[in-house]
Amino acid sequence: MGWLSGKLRLRLAEATRNTPVVEAVHRVTWRKVDARRVSMDKLRHAENLRTRAERIRRHVLERLPDYLEQFVTQATAGGACVHFAPDATAADRIICEIARSRGLRLAVKSKSMTTEEVRLNDALAAADVRVVETDLGEFIVQIDHDRPSHIISPIIHKDRRQIAGAMARELGCAYTEDPEELTSIARRHLRDIFRRCDLGITGVNFAVAETGTLCLLTNEGNGRMTVTRPRVHVALLGIEKIIPRLTDLPVFLKLLARSSTGQAMGAYTTLITGPKRSADRDGPEELHIVLLDNGRSDILAGPVPEVLHCVRCGACLNACPVYRNIGGHAYNSVYPGPIGSLLTPLLWGPSHEELPRVSSLCGACRLACPVKIDIPELLVRLRSLATDRQPRIKRWLLRGWAWGMNRAWRYRLGQRLMRRTLSDDGSGWATRGLGPLRDWTGQRDLPRPGARSFRQLWQEDLGDER
Amino acid sequence: MSGDPRSSAESVTGDRVPTAVRGFVHALRSRTAHIQQQTALPDEPTSALREVNPDAILAARFASEVAAVGCDVRRVTMENWLLSIEEILRGHAARSVLIEPGPETALTPKRAASLRQALAAKGLATMEDPSDDDMFAVDVSVTGVVTAVAETATMVCVSGSRTARGATLIPPAHIALVARSQIVPDLFDTFEQISAWGQMPANVNLITGPSKTADIEGVLVTGIHGPGSVHVLLLDE
Repeated sequence: MGWLSGKLRLRLAEATRNTPVVEAVHRVTWRKVDARRVSMDKLRHAENLRTRAERIRRHVLERLPDYLEQFVTQATAGGACVHFAPDATAADRIICEIARSRGLRLAVKSKSMTTEEVRLNDALAAADVRVVETDLGEFIVQIDHDRPSHIISPIIHKDRRQIAGAMARELGCAYTEDPEELTSIARRHLRDIFRRCDLGITGVNFAVAETGTLCLLTNEGNGRMTVTRPRVHVALLGIEKIIPRLTDLPVFLKLLARSSTGQAMGAYTTLITGPKRSADRDGPEELHIVLLDNGRSDILAGPVPEVLHCVRCGACLNACPVYRNIGGHAYNSVYPGPIGSLLTPLLWGPSHEELPRVSSLCGACRLACPVKIDIPELLVRLRSLATDRQPRIKRWLLRGWAWGMNRAWRYRLGQRLMRRTLSDDGSGWATRGLGPLRDWTGQRDLPRPGARSFRQLWQEDLGDER
Repeated sequence: MSGDPRSSAESVTGDRVPTAVRGFVHALRSRTAHIQQQTALPDEPTSALREVNPDAILAARFASEVAAVGCDVRRVTMENWLLSIEEILRGHAARSVLIEPGPETALTPKRAASLRQALAAKGLATMEDPSDDDMFAVDVSVTGVVTAVAETATMVCVSGSRTARGATLIPPAHIALVARSQIVPDLFDTFEQISAWGQMPANVNLITGPSKTADIEGVLVTGIHGPGSVHVLLLDE
């Protein structure tokens, strides 16, 4: 962490010291890592499926304009109204305008990362529309005025006492720490909302170009409620979520739930094609699909387009030793974890460009990713792009390193210097580097340089034995 | 690329693609013109990726997967399926039952009629086409399914003019009648079928087990928004 700015370093140090959170995150992530491994091991063709999923994503993103055009044409023909939002502000404005023009006042929302990304709740509140989160975790985040810390398990950082406290305080119910009871209190509260709501807001897991179909996955059924009860459904769709055909869906479905929770399939996979038909018994009369760019076309045209292959399963978060020890909030982003370290600087710019360095590049995320995104490789690519804006001292040192390694005599000189400066504290490890080097030697096991170099040994002793 | 959302928010006719959307796709095309199209869409048959082969004993696999995802599963025949439903309803102390037949499901309109009759004989009234408020008062719903998947215990339910979206969602308990002949081996098979429907219905649900959450400390709780109990009757026709 030696080269991170003071602000980020402070945030990380604070996060690692927050023992209850670290313990809670450890508990849930390890359970998910195990569940994922068991269910992927059971899958006979896991590797082939991952390869196929990766190829489909790559194929689509190489031809995104064509597939977007096909999707938009099909969705429109199916009766959906498609909008385009170049950025977060535009997305918020479009959705608020839909609510305003139709007099919608009570919105239910199914868990969605894109709506978090554009801070839709704040915009709707400002437009006098009440928004209620309906995913249990997001609901608790909302009533407790907190932030989600995981893209699948938003309250991974909270224990049941905090949840019980928030529910008793905000809903006026009797205090209980029993997860069953807490869940049923939330169910009753949200049922009342579902009976009265007039606007349903969701994200989209996959959008099928061939048919204009939206695919929405939930375990709780809140996604289904959100597309059943209100009279208007608004889906906020990141432009990268397109897949070509209905028959490509099972490739992803087989991998997604396994990667995020270890289930073979989530409880509900909902396929939505247009608003309710005139003869249908229930369902929204209007379907609005808001296509969100918000930096995605820049990413697509830029140096790390593979980031857009992501299906938001959260497996890389669970697998990451860094995430596990700092939790999601330390990333200071809607998207935490390894994938967040890539997405955040790409979506929100230079103020987050240190995030790719919050990684040990161990590669656990790459092995967990259902669409085989080479996250460590992309992290390194982003790091190298940020070089120019790195601390001057690091640039000097790297330049010096390159200079030293270029000539044998400079290298020998460097060796001698290192032997002098990397002193031993008796442990056999170099722990007391000079100046900023101390951060590095303080956290890593660097053997003390030997008294003589290999070349010296070779010339003096070893060479004779030839 | 016009970014004025107001103009696009108001063009809600739904019959033509708004200019802003067209403009964006056009702009994206020129921005990404440098990207080489070198990855072909995988088109090898999915048979090599199947989890369950067609020659497997589908009913047995389906039944065991259904139990594994937390449903109650019963093998029934044409003789005892009505009794089985009565027994489940008694177990839930159901007073309000919703029956939603579908001609393409195992719960045909004719079978639904005999179920209504049998329940009426026990003094149990059943609902048809309930209003919104009544839907929230239903104790147990009974429906058929369009297809079932042996691999994952998934049941495909189509909503529309005959079946409400809420029928398999809002009541706290759901009984699904599945004919043995409706079971396909693999998720790939289901999507081959759906893909061949021609026009997609507005709302299709693939249901796998009861509604569940593990948001509180990772503890699994069923029945958060959808049915907490799902009973699957596997019918030998």
